Amino acid sequence: MSDVRRPVVLLVDDEPRILSALHRTLRREGYELLTAETTQEALRLVDAGPVDCVLSDHKMPGMTGLELLERVASRRPETRRMLITGWNVEIDRDELARLGVLAVLSKPWDDAELKATLRAAVDA
Amino acid sequence: MTGEANVWGERDDRGRRRACILIAEPEPGERRPGGPSLAFALASLADPADDLAPAIESVTTWSACIDRCRRGPVDLVVIDEALGREAEEIVARLRRGAPELIVLQRGTGDGAALAWFRRGASECVAADRDLAALRHAARERLERARARRPGGAEDLPDARGILQHLGSALVIVDEEGAIAFANPAAERTLGLSREALHGRRFRDLLIEATEPASLGGEAASAHGLESRAGEARVLRPDGHAVPIALTWGPIVGANGAPTGAVAVFQDVSLTQEWRSHALQTEKMASIGQLAAGVAHEINNPMGFIHANLFQMTEYVTDLRQVWSRVEGLLKAIGGDRSLVERAAGELAGAVEEADVGFLLQDLAKAIRESQEGSERIRHIVQDLRDFSHQDTGERVLADINQCLDSTANIVWPMMKHLVVLSKNYGELPPVPCYPMQLKQVFMNLLVNAYQAIEESSARDGRIGTVTLATVAIEDGVRVEISDTGAGIAREHLDRIFDPFFTTKKVGAGTGLGLSTSFNIVRRHGGTLSVDSEPGRGTTFCLQLPLLREEIGSRSA
Repeated sequence: MSDVRRPVVLLVDDEPRILSALHRTLRREGYELLTAETTQEALRLVDAGPVDCVLSDHKMPGMTGLELLERVASRRPETRRMLITGWNVEIDRDELARLGVLAVLSKPWDDAELKATLRAAVDA
Repeated sequence: MTGEANVWGERDDRGRRRACILIAEPEPGERRPGGPSLAFALASLADPADDLAPAIESVTTWSACIDRCRRGPVDLVVIDEALGREAEEIVARLRRGAPELIVLQRGTGDGAALAWFRRGASECVAADRDLAALRHAARERLERARARRPGGAEDLPDARGILQHLGSALVIVDEEGAIAFANPAAERTLGLSREALHGRRFRDLLIEATEPASLGGEAASAHGLESRAGEARVLRPDGHAVPIALTWGPIVGANGAPTGAVAVFQDVSLTQEWRSHALQTEKMASIGQLAAGVAHEINNPMGFIHANLFQMTEYVTDLRQVWSRVEGLLKAIGGDRSLVERAAGELAGAVEEADVGFLLQDLAKAIRESQEGSERIRHIVQDLRDFSHQDTGERVLADINQCLDSTANIVWPMMKHLVVLSKNYGELPPVPCYPMQLKQVFMNLLVNAYQAIEESSARDGRIGTVTLATVAIEDGVRVEISDTGAGIAREHLDRIFDPFFTTKKVGAGTGLGLSTSFNIVRRHGGTLSVDSEPGRGTTFCLQLPLLREEIGSRSA
């Protein structure tokens, strides 16, 4: 491998099995993968070091994914932000645009689509 | 006839307004030779619409006349030419318009009449012997004045005509409650002709009236004179029972005693159809909300099972690559040594590239996790099946704890991100009930509890608690569903069981959840009550009896 830093992708979901499956899917995509089961843990990781992209679930205890991404944006505006949600919740498009959320994926996700969308976000 | 009592605008005991005639003459009330006084002649002019004699006042000067007209509208001023200059002054100042002005001519001559018209009189009549011309003119002028009056019941052009074309059914009954009048809409609604209706007791045509006793004249006196409203069903001769909404009130006679009653009613079958449609909508709204929760709950395991299957396929492909190297090596064994070494080298490379150690370990993990996910989905489906088990038409003995718990399992996925669920189930005797209906009640209460917490949580960001408690009480069971949510405002508390009452956003609720719940519990012979404190939370308390008595199905 080259000495170029691998892009860091943070996966956030209160369901550890989802994190495990996401990790499985993305493990050979050339990213450094971090996972967080809580929004607090996610914010701690964002504060701790550079994170290139956050891919977060929406419906989580305490804080929604959108709220998490809003905080990420205010701390690290350069961090790319994406949502992945299993619930067909109405998320205001204007709100998504305002918070600079690049993509909203739905569960169950399509492997190729997930990889391509993440790649585009990281390269953006 | 004159005097302070007859102020214009006075109404009689039936609320009708009297017409007002003002007489301007030199000697009020004076009988004219060989004829009646002006007041007497005019007093007999009954108002054509309602037989109400006009109020009559007299003045002797133009200033008194103008003053009186300013104090309150006058319909007609009759001016005796004998007033001379005063008469001219009155006509000049009032001019044509309201009130109508009739000049009573003492002399004759068209020239004089023309002069009066020029001054502004509406009409000139000769003072003939019995004042017939005056009375004729006055009647006409009163008609015109009345046409200009602001609307009021007494101004209706033809009350009977209106009743004929009234869209609502109207029936008038006498003191005994026998039908004295029915309009065409009433004939249609009751399914009987006017002739067939006449004399029949209105009460006998109705079934399931909410307040049947007061539907007759006898009740008008017993119940006071206020109007009432209620619901009933009309049993038509063709056997159709038509639901109606009706209002009725007493008809009061001259002596103030009721002489009968008037009932106005309308066929509300369409309204009821719409209401049941709305009930269905409410049910669908709840189901939609639940479905979203359940879909989410299924989607998570589906999400990772789906991804895992995809990855496991990749793993298998990788392992197959390794296996092909193994086969190559097996073929090479026993042959040329260098070939064996090359095959072994390729195998080692493939094993390293595929990271076989990791693959095998992770494959087992992926299978385990996916199995767990499919087990979760199986549970959800099982819960759905328990929850949606349809009622048969009869009551069955059911475990209320089980009903409550299976409902909570269904609602749980929707609320779990905001709610801690605390269960405190007591030991309960089996309760005769319609389990699916009770589950619908529990579901409504649980969804409300969740929404109350959602509301308070949006404000303070805190997670709430929903407590489910059941306990056996004397001859029954009690179920309490409490939340620590936003609470219900005092002013809403006594309306929450009303149909269509809702404080939710448009589209978020039909306002039928609690009224439906209330009716279901009542059908079980139980009670549903609420206790709430804004900002602290709400507790719904549901009590169900063990009695098997059917309540609420008392259709005649």
